[in-house]
Amino acid sequence: MVIGNETKPKIGQSYVEAVRARFGNSILDETWQAPDQVTLTVSLNCLPDVVEMLYYEQGGWLASVAVNDERPLNGQFAIYYILSVEGNGDEAPPAEKAYVVVHAQIPPHQPEFPAVTPKVPAAIWYEREARDMFGLQPIGLPDQRRLVLPDDWPDNLYPLRKDAMDYRFRPEPTTENETYDFIQVEGEGIVQVPLGPLHITSDEPGHFRLYVDGEHIVDADYRLFYVHRGMEKLAESRMSYDQVTFLADRICGICGYAHNVAYSTSVERALGIEVPERAQFIRTILLEVERLHSHLLNLGLACHFVGFDTGFMQFFRVREKAMKMAELLTGSRKTYGVNLIGGVRRDILKEQRLTTLKLLGELRQEVTTLVNMLLETPHIVQRTQNIGLLEAQVARDYSPVGPTLRGSGFARDIRVIHPYCAYDRVPWTVIAKEGCDVLSRTLIRAEEFFESVSMVERCLDAMPDGPVLTEGFTYKPFQFALGYVEAPRGEDIHWSMLGDNQKIYRWKCRASSYNNWPSLRYMLRGNTISDAPLIVASIDPCYSCTERVTVIDVRKKKATIVPYKEMERYCIERKDSPLK
Amino acid sequence: MFGDNTTSNPMLAERSQYAIHQDPEIGQLKAALLKDIQRSVFVYRVDCGGCNGCEIEIFAALTPLFDVERFGIKVVSSPRHADVLVFTGSMTRSMRVPALRAYHAAPDPKICVAYGACGCSGGIFHDLYCVWGGADKVVPVDVYIPGCPPTPAATIYGFAMALGILSQKLKAVHHVQSENEHVLPRHPEIPLILRVEIEREARRMAGYWHGKRIAETFFGLIKGDSQPIEQTVRAYLEQEDDPRLTEIVTRLESIYHAYHGAR
Repeated sequence: MVIGNETKPKIGQSYVEAVRARFGNSILDETWQAPDQVTLTVSLNCLPDVVEMLYYEQGGWLASVAVNDERPLNGQFAIYYILSVEGNGDEAPPAEKAYVVVHAQIPPHQPEFPAVTPKVPAAIWYEREARDMFGLQPIGLPDQRRLVLPDDWPDNLYPLRKDAMDYRFRPEPTTENETYDFIQVEGEGIVQVPLGPLHITSDEPGHFRLYVDGEHIVDADYRLFYVHRGMEKLAESRMSYDQVTFLADRICGICGYAHNVAYSTSVERALGIEVPERAQFIRTILLEVERLHSHLLNLGLACHFVGFDTGFMQFFRVREKAMKMAELLTGSRKTYGVNLIGGVRRDILKEQRLTTLKLLGELRQEVTTLVNMLLETPHIVQRTQNIGLLEAQVARDYSPVGPTLRGSGFARDIRVIHPYCAYDRVPWTVIAKEGCDVLSRTLIRAEEFFESVSMVERCLDAMPDGPVLTEGFTYKPFQFALGYVEAPRGEDIHWSMLGDNQKIYRWKCRASSYNNWPSLRYMLRGNTISDAPLIVASIDPCYSCTERVTVIDVRKKKATIVPYKEMERYCIERKDSPLK
Repeated sequence: MFGDNTTSNPMLAERSQYAIHQDPEIGQLKAALLKDIQRSVFVYRVDCGGCNGCEIEIFAALTPLFDVERFGIKVVSSPRHADVLVFTGSMTRSMRVPALRAYHAAPDPKICVAYGACGCSGGIFHDLYCVWGGADKVVPVDVYIPGCPPTPAATIYGFAMALGILSQKLKAVHHVQSENEHVLPRHPEIPLILRVEIEREARRMAGYWHGKRIAETFFGLIKGDSQPIEQTVRAYLEQEDDPRLTEIVTRLESIYHAYHGAR
């Protein structure tokens, strides 16, 4: 299935050859969706080995895992492990960077697949989700809990299977109590601190259990997905292609436009549509405007969580300039609704350009003052340095994204690695820090803010002429491709397969926080309880993005009394085990 | 599709049987509360499954530029302290019980606000499998603040309305169509084909909002027949001094000439 761009040189051929050299006959098919996107069909049994090889030997990062019910097409379930393969960094010349998608088919009479998690821990949430949403059993995955679906969701009802249910089907509630059982850990000196699901540290619902010994966090457990609504099912049941752009805006109230662009580009790439240059620049400008307000928001919250409320108020005061800019350029402060498949819905004329440039100048000046003020306040550094450490090796294993990863020494930014929109046409630098702590992540956001300001200015100056919208194309059924955007919190990956009824067949959207959550428990361990909200906020979590899918978690309740020694042993085991 | 049997169909069944019914006595207490708390209102936010947009706009309303605290409205960290509960987001299956717990935790009488499109009706998610609809499917709602998300200004207005700080001053006008009244086509003097061509090009070049404005301006320019259209357009563009506008209007002009040339 080669679509468009056949003449362009293929990027990533070397990885395909390396996989072929090792696994030979297990590679059943090879298709190219774009010059840097290849899908390899492998036999189910060698799936974990291929993913492991690409991940650890070729420098791959797990971007997403898409599961698809392709029984109406070819009688099989399909699972796609999407890896961004980037080399190990020591090659000369630098290794080529491509998306390699490892695809395997799962027969419906035996809905199970060998789990990749034991070899690549980053797959943990994806495989739990595959079980919840499609009823595909990952063999070898020890965590039997639901992830996405509510606790009282009926067993054996898998929402994303095509024949499972109408998207409006709402099973009767079975209980008035929450049935999710956290691990019961009791013992001398161990206290459980429940946080949430409604709490003030973050806006959104999520339930944390911190296991503390005195002031120190021994371990953490969390139950998220309170906000699961079922967007992916909605997109394939009720909406047309252009309507889904407006749904994508509502995945997240903070970085919705990033999702919107990721979705639109995935469909455009699947069809081989060329988006006009000017529209690419407008998308870039709006993505960066979104980053401006999002980073200011997080800087404000960082102040709030260390008890520096003056800073919080000041950052939010300045942030209103970014909101005004968004309103000026798109017509709304949030949920921009500017994209269509093929371009954008709104141009930038002289009046908007000049006012935006003026606001950018003011923002740069005021935020410089505020950031200096923040860093000159001694307790900010004291409270954030060496707090919430994310070791480089943990980061490598769990594929976190965005400032969370860049704070641990990896200069990895999708805007450079897989340039999209106009990012390869304006000069800018990637910010990375070695500190691995909350301070590094906060500083990265501050520095990225200024990069974004310059980038918007440069884009406004370099805007090309021409139309902003491509029209008059037809949708081709069952083409698929990836769309990717570096949102303020990290990369958003959308995998879309087009349908034959003017609706999308399968839309897998993976928000940045989804990759960041699993590594959070490693950041929490060993810190004091008063730092917990600060650490959670330092990954700038976005619950709603993450919770668009359904996962059921029926956790098996085990021994209720665990001696302290047992707990210690358990913690050590959990720490050293790639599984959780 | 589902006809009359909506009540028996589990997919579309009204979820009102799960809603709480309010004691009439509490209604009276609420009226008294409204009178008393006007300038000292404690608000607790309950996110029942929102996208975060509403929460961010509430934050914006709290912070210096909009500053609701000048009206005595303060966000508190526990429902036990709250007079007003703000429910944002479509009520998801998992959040129903926590939301109810928050509702019961707040002392009576209390005022419930459904905030944002999702809080009011379920919004874009209204009929999904893991959603119960708006907040009013679960708790009795007194005030609806619509918007996706409501702007901070709308938030303040909604609260002011709810608390009776502001009496409603809308002057509604209801238009009834008379017998011989018809909607007139726009610009009947411009040939339809030309008008559609110009509007389409303007949209392709500048998007819906700017495109429509530019096309309308252009129609105004070509309607005046006192001098050749080239001069009118050039004078207009010189006055505007916007290179992008010049590019777009020049394209529209060439469509105009092509149409007249072909004829």
